[in-house]
Amino acid sequence: MAGHSSVLTDGGRLSQIDRGLYRVERFMALLSGIAVFSLMVLAVVSVGGRNLFNAPLPGYVDWIQQLMPLIAFMGVSFTQRDGGHIRMDILVGRLKGRALWGAEFITTAFMLVLIVLLIWGSWAHFERSFDFTRPLWSRDSSIDIALPLWPAKLLAPVAFSVLALRLVLQLWGYARAFAQNLAEPVAVPLVRSAAELAAEEAELVSGGKE
Amino acid sequence: MEPIEIGIAVSAFLLVIVVLGMRVAFAAGIAGLVGLFWIFWAKFGYEPDRFGRAMTIAVKTAGQVPHSKVASQSLSLIPTFILIGYLAYYAGLTKALFEAAKRWVGWLPGGLAVSTVFATAGFAAVSGASVATSAVFARIAIPEMLKLNYDKRFAAGVVAAGGTLASLIPPSAILVIYAIIVEQDVGKLLLAGFIPGAFSALVYGGLIVSMALVWPKFGPPVRGFTWRQRLAALPPAFPIFFVVFIIVFFIYNPFGGDPWGTPTEGGALGAAVVFVMALINGLKWGQLKEALIETAKLTAMIFTIIWGVLIYVRFLGFADLPRAFSDWISGLDQAPMLTLVMILLAYAVLGMFMDAIGMLLLTLPVVYPAVMALNGGELVSAADSTFGMSGPMCAIWFGILVVKMAEFCLITPPIGLNCFVVAGVRPEVSVQDVFRGVAPFFVADALTIAGLVAFPQIVLWLPSLA
Amino acid sequence: EEWNVSLWGKARAFTSHVEKLAEVLDETTDGEFTLNISYGGLSKNTENLDGISIGAFEMAQFCAGYHRDKNPSITVLELPFLGVNTLEEEIAVSMAVYNHPAVQDDLGRWNAKLLMPSPLPQYNLVGTGEPRTTLEDFDGMRVRATGGIGEAFRTVGAVPTSVTSSEAYAALDSGTVDTVAFAPHAHLSFRTIDMADWWTTNLNPGTVNCPVVVNTDAYEMLSDEHREALDAAIPVVMDHYLEAYGKIYEQWDQVLEERGVEKVTFSEEDLAAFRAKAADPIREKWIADMSAQGLPAQELYDVMMDALAKAQM
Ligand code: NA
Ligand code: NA
Repeated sequence: MAGHSSVLTDGGRLSQIDRGLYRVERFMALLSGIAVFSLMVLAVVSVGGRNLFNAPLPGYVDWIQQLMPLIAFMGVSFTQRDGGHIRMDILVGRLKGRALWGAEFITTAFMLVLIVLLIWGSWAHFERSFDFTRPLWSRDSSIDIALPLWPAKLLAPVAFSVLALRLVLQLWGYARAFAQNLAEPVAVPLVRSAAELAAEEAELVSGGKE
Repeated sequence: MEPIEIGIAVSAFLLVIVVLGMRVAFAAGIAGLVGLFWIFWAKFGYEPDRFGRAMTIAVKTAGQVPHSKVASQSLSLIPTFILIGYLAYYAGLTKALFEAAKRWVGWLPGGLAVSTVFATAGFAAVSGASVATSAVFARIAIPEMLKLNYDKRFAAGVVAAGGTLASLIPPSAILVIYAIIVEQDVGKLLLAGFIPGAFSALVYGGLIVSMALVWPKFGPPVRGFTWRQRLAALPPAFPIFFVVFIIVFFIYNPFGGDPWGTPTEGGALGAAVVFVMALINGLKWGQLKEALIETAKLTAMIFTIIWGVLIYVRFLGFADLPRAFSDWISGLDQAPMLTLVMILLAYAVLGMFMDAIGMLLLTLPVVYPAVMALNGGELVSAADSTFGMSGPMCAIWFGILVVKMAEFCLITPPIGLNCFVVAGVRPEVSVQDVFRGVAPFFVADALTIAGLVAFPQIVLWLPSLA
Repeated sequence: EEWNVSLWGKARAFTSHVEKLAEVLDETTDGEFTLNISYGGLSKNTENLDGISIGAFEMAQFCAGYHRDKNPSITVLELPFLGVNTLEEEIAVSMAVYNHPAVQDDLGRWNAKLLMPSPLPQYNLVGTGEPRTTLEDFDGMRVRATGGIGEAFRTVGAVPTSVTSSEAYAALDSGTVDTVAFAPHAHLSFRTIDMADWWTTNLNPGTVNCPVVVNTDAYEMLSDEHREALDAAIPVVMDHYLEAYGKIYEQWDQVLEERGVEKVTFSEEDLAAFRAKAADPIREKWIADMSAQGLPAQELYDVMMDALAKAQM
């Protein structure tokens, strides 16, 4: 339950919104993966340029620092959707039914409070680096080739806002499960039986060439 | 309340909410934010009309951390090394290694588990991230062990423990981070990781064989491979040696002469080499996309813990808890070796509750100079030193010990990341199962660390040649 | 009253004025006004201005070159080949610039008030392999140098390469760069001197400027007595700082000798040619860019050079 859990779907409105948001989250995660891939390309260009043409990539380090927030933040909500952020589940794992949904609702609500505050804080961090009246709108720049830092800083509140939407959706899901005393609610990460998940897992692994 | 008391109170609060099931990254973030607010409001004498001001400062201070801390060149090695791991998996290298290990050492008692350990050690040479190594081997090794009726908890434990080898055997993100924090030669540190990594793998293997000899119901050996079959298993695993060669030569040239670049470039080029191999092995766009998304997911999980813990660490900075800790350590009136052992034990305890990178970032600026001073200073000669090694050699030795401790904390409850990841990948195994299965390896790690402390030459022989 | 101070690294000559300030204030105010100095615990060094702006801590040190867009006005002090020779001259030019109203407005955006400089010795090259003794030898040389100093080397055909200071040693070791430009103390602390075959004694292309600032609100909220104690302490602690650097210079010569590092001294003609190629175009570009941003760039430059002339009299 700690890592990979699955999310049920149905034809209802909550599930539709869940799947819609999931598409956005998956796309953002792919962007993050592509950014990792481009770290690799940057290194090839940097090493090749230096050794073949004596022309190192200017600002190699600055570009890496610009890429890192893309890599680090863009998958945060995607990971939360499937319950992928780790936790100790010794206590929560023993709960069932309303007690479980109530506990999940409370921890998720605390996460939402944190994330809303961090949207405020990280937006302020972005705002300090941004100034419409200056060249490239920049009030803060990188050390070597003076790249504006605001686009990378903006990624934190953007990714956190998507995460906040996800948390609101999960709160809705848990509240609904609690109110209706559901056994298998949609749109929230669930613990499912080992057999069901094993079948899914086998499918996933057969997708990769071994 | 004094800042240090606030530091202790909030740390206790963090422990409680983690145990109650709050996701770790967010629990640390909440604790950090609460702590920052408390510190600032306390500074304002808890005046009600300055509540908002204290809140604003706390939120803005915490809000800096995520961008500020992740926009770092050294941390870029982490996603790069995770990507190498996934690409190697899609290129078929993991399966090839496992197959080769099975045919060569499967005949031993507990053979499949021993094979798993050696295959993870081999994979460690293309993977810089322990967690990623455990994740990929959870997919291929656990099902095979279950087929042969291995205990599922032990099978999961083997994979979780085997994964930790990736951080000692180069390339290793965490060794690079250590080198950067303490400003030591990255090449020598990475080189120093080879033999202790192999030593660890041998201790794990020995432990499994002994357990299999003691308990007859342990998983059976896999016999019956001919020499022809054994030799046939080698070529598919061979590309991994090519990758090792590239990465090692980029970071350090064992035959003298200049290495070919910096660690950052070396890691990324290693990924590029594995990518080309995966392409040659028929990597499809769909698979690449899957590898990129999986990389993003694991990266997001790790980085969320990193910035979450670092919000908490930022609060600790304001609470001045690290300095209190350092005063306590350096004020001890006892034998230096005992102090060193106590520091390592403190890491074992701290590592139970903290992310390895966060732990190193937080403590090394304090602990490293203390250890250097214990040995007689940064520039001490081997003859004049306490531990019988020069300053730079002591830095390498301590680095390997600390990284081994950080690895150890990847498999200890309650926040042993490798165990969570194995449980996450294998639906039939719960986190508690993995923690139970990995417990015997605590003994193996304790033996390994004792060996490295008692015989520093295991660590220092290779780098001293350079 | 206790102020939090955000520095980075470890206690060293570069932070000796702040350390001394804590000591002096503690004495003169009978422990009523104290500084709580943190090395990296309160902020990342490139974000010390952010922390000052938020009000998270009351005093901090940073370097202008870390983030040109945060403090465009004081980057004038990092222009190459200003002709500053001593730390005393560096203090004089820094204070002249810090006291200019346009500079105070620029830092005022961060709610920061400039308190004192942390003057650094001139940068020089540490290199591996055959010594490069003439300007022609710089052609194609890969040099670790940032900002204006990197630009200066580019004008004579060298190739500036991005490497963080902590990776400089590895970069020199691996041949990623042939040379590294640092002030002597940084060559010591980042251990590039251990790799060195030669060192340039008189290239003196410039240095970085690293002021200590205080949060304006906190400064104004100080009692008169404490504010006077703070202001009065500055000359005392700057003297202490100069003394600390004096000791490093002694050590530096000794280190060069011990490791058999060859001292390379450039001819006056070469230095003049280098200045002509690098100093004028970079300065003119700086003045044009900063004027476009609405800074009195020419005036700042003149104020600085006047102060230098006075200090050299
Ligand atoms: Na590795
Ligand atoms: Na599981």
